[in-house]
Amino acid sequence: MTRIERKRMLTGLAFISPWIIGFVGLTLYPIIMSLHYSFCDYDILSEPVFIGTLNYQDMLIDKVFWKSLSNTFIYAVFALPLGMAASLFFAVLLNCRIKGKSLFRVLFFLPSLVPMVATAMIWLWMFNGKFGLLNNMLEMIGINGPSWLNDELWTKPAMVLTSLWGIGNTIVIYLAALQDVPRELYESADIDGGNWWHKFRHITCPMISPVIYFNLVIGIIGSLQVFAQPYIMFGGATGGPNRSALFYTVYLYETAFSYNKMGYASAMAWVLFIIILLLTWMATKATRKHIHYGG
Amino acid sequence: MWLKKLKPYLNFPLLAAISGMAYVIIYSAIDHIKQNSSSELEGKTIIYYWEKWSGAEYNAMKSIVDDFNKSQDNIYVKMLSVSSIEQKLMLATAGGAPPDVAGVWSHTINTFARKGALTPLDGLMKRNGIKASDYIPVFIELCQLYGFTWALPTTPGTVGLHWNKKLFREAGLDPESPPQSIAELDKMAEMLTIVKIKRKGINTRIRYSQLTEEEKDTKDFSIVQLGYSPSIPGWYNEMWGFWFGAKLWNGKDKICANSLQNIEALQWYGSFAQKYGIRNLQEFGASCGNFASPSDPFLSEKVAMVQQGVWMYNFINKFSPAMEWGAAAFPSADPARLSNVCIAETDVLVIPRGSKHIPQAFEFIKYTQKRKVLEKLNLAQRKFPPLADISDDFYQKHPNKYIKVFVKLSESKNAKSVPAIPIWNEYKNEFIVAYDQAFTGITTPATALENISHRVQLQLDRVIKRWELVKERRFKEWRKIDDQN
Amino acid sequence: MKKSNFISQIVIYFLLIGGAMLFSAPLIWMFSTAVKPIEQTMSLPPSWLPYQYLLQKDGQEIPVKIEGKLVSAAFQVHLAGMKSFVIIPADKVKNGVIKLENGNTVIPADIKLIPASKDNMFIIAASENNDKKYIVPAHDINRVIHFRWENFSAAVESMTHFPLYLRNTLLLCFITVVGTVSSSALAAYGFSRIEWKGRDKVFLLALCTMMIPFPVLMVPLYCLFKALGMIGTLQPLWIGSFCAGAFNVFLLRQFFIGIPQALSDAARIDGCSEFKIFFDIILPISKPALMVVGLFQFMGTWNDFLGPLIYLTDQRDYTLALGLQFFQSQSGGTEWNYLMAASFLVVIPVLILFFFTQKSFIEGISTTGVKG
Repeated sequence: MTRIERKRMLTGLAFISPWIIGFVGLTLYPIIMSLHYSFCDYDILSEPVFIGTLNYQDMLIDKVFWKSLSNTFIYAVFALPLGMAASLFFAVLLNCRIKGKSLFRVLFFLPSLVPMVATAMIWLWMFNGKFGLLNNMLEMIGINGPSWLNDELWTKPAMVLTSLWGIGNTIVIYLAALQDVPRELYESADIDGGNWWHKFRHITCPMISPVIYFNLVIGIIGSLQVFAQPYIMFGGATGGPNRSALFYTVYLYETAFSYNKMGYASAMAWVLFIIILLLTWMATKATRKHIHYGG
Repeated sequence: MWLKKLKPYLNFPLLAAISGMAYVIIYSAIDHIKQNSSSELEGKTIIYYWEKWSGAEYNAMKSIVDDFNKSQDNIYVKMLSVSSIEQKLMLATAGGAPPDVAGVWSHTINTFARKGALTPLDGLMKRNGIKASDYIPVFIELCQLYGFTWALPTTPGTVGLHWNKKLFREAGLDPESPPQSIAELDKMAEMLTIVKIKRKGINTRIRYSQLTEEEKDTKDFSIVQLGYSPSIPGWYNEMWGFWFGAKLWNGKDKICANSLQNIEALQWYGSFAQKYGIRNLQEFGASCGNFASPSDPFLSEKVAMVQQGVWMYNFINKFSPAMEWGAAAFPSADPARLSNVCIAETDVLVIPRGSKHIPQAFEFIKYTQKRKVLEKLNLAQRKFPPLADISDDFYQKHPNKYIKVFVKLSESKNAKSVPAIPIWNEYKNEFIVAYDQAFTGITTPATALENISHRVQLQLDRVIKRWELVKERRFKEWRKIDDQN
Repeated sequence: MKKSNFISQIVIYFLLIGGAMLFSAPLIWMFSTAVKPIEQTMSLPPSWLPYQYLLQKDGQEIPVKIEGKLVSAAFQVHLAGMKSFVIIPADKVKNGVIKLENGNTVIPADIKLIPASKDNMFIIAASENNDKKYIVPAHDINRVIHFRWENFSAAVESMTHFPLYLRNTLLLCFITVVGTVSSSALAAYGFSRIEWKGRDKVFLLALCTMMIPFPVLMVPLYCLFKALGMIGTLQPLWIGSFCAGAFNVFLLRQFFIGIPQALSDAARIDGCSEFKIFFDIILPISKPALMVVGLFQFMGTWNDFLGPLIYLTDQRDYTLALGLQFFQSQSGGTEWNYLMAASFLVVIPVLILFFFTQKSFIEGISTTGVKG
C-alpha cells in the first residue's frame, strides 16, 4: 500500500467512524448472539442450551414455515415491482409543473404519517365484503367483489393493495433525486424533438438510477420482512383464513415472543438473511450495467 | 453580511428545530417545578408495579394503589400502565430489570413460572395468613403450578350465554327461559334467525325455521338477523370441546385434540356453516362491527344469543342501555352429565424473578387481597371478587343484576380454564386455524384435529424432555426461595 | 398551449386527484372519528360526517340519543317506585291492567297510549346524560351535522402528562435528527467520495445489518443496554442515531455517488481538505437528500412505539406514540374518538413539517448544472 493509499484509507475510515462505532458497540453483539441462539434451544427466560443444527432441521419439516415463506414470496413478487413503478410514476407526476403541487405531495404522503391503528381500521373497512369501498366501486362496473379478508385467495392481493398505500416515503426519495436532474438535458431533448417517454427513458431514468437501485434493494428487504400491516389486520399469528396471510416475519415474531422459541426464531432470521442477501446480490449483478454514476 | 450568508440555512426545519428546543426548555422548567413533590417518597421503599390494564380498569386499580400508599409509611407503589406487557416483562426479566409486582393474566403464569421467572409465594402466604381456601377453588388453582403458588387473583371473569329477551319474544319464545342444551340452542337459533329470500320473484323476510326444505338446501338467501353462531365473536375456538366433555390434554404428556368429544365439538361448530351457508355467514359477519363497539352484532340486536364474559355488562350499559337481556350458563351437549360449564380466568398479581424488594412487594399484594379491597376493586370493574366469601353488601351495590350467575358459574365443578400445558399459545393457534378450516370446509373436522394432534404432540414431547432435565434443579431453587422469604 | 399538452395536463390532474382522494382517506376518516361521539365510531357502513339528533320541544332544541323506535301502538307506563317509564305493547294491557309474562298482573300508577304505527313512527330518545327520556313523533327529531370539538380537549386531558410526553418526544426528535443527519452524512461520504481499499466490502457489511429481522436482536440489545445502565432512561432511544444507520447511509451514498468526481478533484487540487470538500461542496448540493433523511428520522422518532415501550419504565418519560396506547383498552373498549383525536393532534405537526420540507424540492433550485 502506498502512502497515498494509506492516507486515503485513514481518511475514509475517519469518515465512516460513526458507523464503525455503532457497528462494534451496538450491532455486532446482538447479531453474534442471535447467530449463537440459532444453534440453541432458547426460551428467552432460561439459559440457552446448545442443540447443534436441530432448529435448522426442524424448519425443513415445519409446514407452517414453508407456508409463511411461500406467502411472503408471492406477496413480494407483486408488491415490490408494483410499488416501485407506482412510486416512480407519481413522483414524476408530482415533479411536473402543475398547480397545487405542494398540496398533492402532502396528500400522497398522508398514509405514511397516520398511525398504524388508524390505517388498519380504514383497510378493514375498505376490504369489507359488504360495505367496503372497494366492493362498492367494483359493483359500479358490474363485478361482484370477493369478501377479501375472509377468502384465502384474496388476502394476499388485499395486502399488496394496502402496501401500495405506503409509497409516500419512496415518492419523497424520488422527488429529492429528481431535483438533481439538470434542466438543460430536457431542454436539449426538446430541441431534438423527443417525446415524454423518450425523455423519461433516456434522461430521467439514467440520472436517478442510483436512487432506483437504492429503492430496489430497500424494497427487497422491506417486502420480505413485511410485518406491521398483516400483523395488525389479521390479529397476529394465525395469519387470516387458512394461514394465507401469515408472512415470514409475523411467524418469526410469534415464534419468538408468543411461543417463546427464540432459538428457532433466530434460525429463521438467519435463513431469511441468506435469502435476502442472495436476492440483493442478484439484483446488484443484474442492474450494475444500467446504473449511471456521475463520477 | 453574515445574515445573508446564513439565509439559505434559515428554512423551516431549522426553525422547527429551534422552536422545538424552546418548547423543551419551557417544559423542562414546568417539569422541574412539578418534580418538587418527590419529597413524599423520602425514606420509603419504592415498589414498581406494571399493570396490563389501561382505561377504566386501570383507574379502578389506581385508586386501590392510592389507598395503599396513603396507608403506608414505609412503602410507595409506583404504578405503570404497560401495553404488550408479556413481551416487555419477558425482556425485562431476561435483562435483569423487572418490576417488583406485575399484573398479568392467569395464563401468563404458565409460561413464566415454568421458566423460573416468577417468585413462589407459598412461604409468604403462610406467614401472612393467606390460605388457598380463602378463594373460589378455580381461581386459586389457576395460580398454582407444580405444587407452588405463583400469583394471587384480583379481578376474575367467567363466561356465559347472553340472550336478547326482545328478540326471543318476537320469535314466540319465552324470554325468561334460555336454552338448556346444545340441541335446544340450535333449534332456538333457527327460530331466531331471519333471512331475506326471493319467493316467486318477491323479496320476503322469513324466519329460517319456516323455510321449505328445498330453500334450506339451496341456501339462496341472505341473513338479516342471526339466532346464534359460535363464529360470533369467534373466540374460545380452542375450548368449545369443554361443552362436549372434552379434554385438551391428559394433564401430563398427551395431546387429546382429536378425541371424540373434540371432534364432536368441531362438527357442531362446522354445522352452522353447513346450515346457513358459509358465504351467507361471512356476508352477515361483514355487516357487523367490531366487538364492543356500537355496531357489535349483539349490542345492535342483530344476533340474539352470544357467549360472552362478565365484562359484557359494561358494553351493554355503554352502547345499548335500552336492551332487554339476560345471562345464564351456556348449555352443554349433555345437560344431565355436564352442567354449568364455563371458562374461568382471572387477572393476577405476580412477583417476577429479580425483584429487589420481595417482602415489600408482597405487602402490597397482601393489601389487595383483603375482602374490602377486592370488593371495591371488582365493584369498580363490574366483576366479582375471587373469594369464597362475598358480602351481601357487594351484591346489593353491584349494578349487574346477573352477577350472581357468573359467581355461581365459577363455583361449578365444570368451570374450566386454559390448560396448564407448556406450549399453550402454539396449541391455541393451531386450534384456531383448524376451526377455521373446518368451518370453511377445507378439511373435515377429524382430519383437521388429527393434524393438530400430530404437530403439537411433537412440540410437547420436546418441551417435556427439556423439562425433565431441569426439573430437579428448579424445584430445589424454588424451595430455597420460598423458605427464604 | 399545444393541444396534446392540454390533454396530457388533464390526464395528469385526473390521475393525481384520483390518487390523492384515495390517499387522503385515512386522515379524513381519522378526523371524522375524532369529532364523533363514541356511539357513532366504528359504525358500518361508516358515516363520514358526525351528526347529532336534536329534539324540538317547547321551542327548544335538545340534543338527544336515539334508543329505539316504535312502529305499533303501545303504552307508556309509569310504575310505582320507578324513576323512568317502560314501554308495553298494546296487546299486553287490558283495561289499564298489565299482564306480565309469568301470569301476574300489575296496575300502573300512570298510563298513556302512544298512537304509533308504520306510517307514524315514534322515537324513544334520551338526553345526552341519560337523565331524561322522551317519546316523541319521528318528525320532532332532526338529524344535524355536529362536530364535537370538545373531544380534542378531553383527549389531551385524559392523557394526563400530555405536555411531558410532548416534551420528551420533541427532545428525542431533535437529538435523533441532529445525530442521524450528521453521522450518516459523514459515513456516506466515506463510503462514496473517497476511494479506499475494501470500501465496498465494508459497505456490504453495513447493508447486511439491515437484512436480519429485528425481533431476534431485541433480547441481546436489551441486555446490552441494561449492562450499560441505560434501561429506564431516554438514552437507548437516541444513542443509535449517532451511529449512522445503514438505511440513511445507503440513501445518502446513492445521492453522493451521483455527484461528478470532477468537483471534488478540482477542490483537492486547490488544496482543500476532505472535510472542507464534504462540508462546503457536497453537503450544500445534497440538501434535498439531507432533508429526506432528517424528515424520515423525525417521523421515525415521532411515531416510534416499540422502542419507548421496551426501554422506558417511568410514565414521566413516555413519548406521545406510547401515550396514545392509554386509549386502547385491553378489554376491547377502545375509546376510538379520543384515540383518533389525540392521534390527529400528534400527526398535525409532522404534516406541517412535511409541507415545508417538500418545498425544498422545487424543480432544480440549487443543483442545476451540477451533473452531466
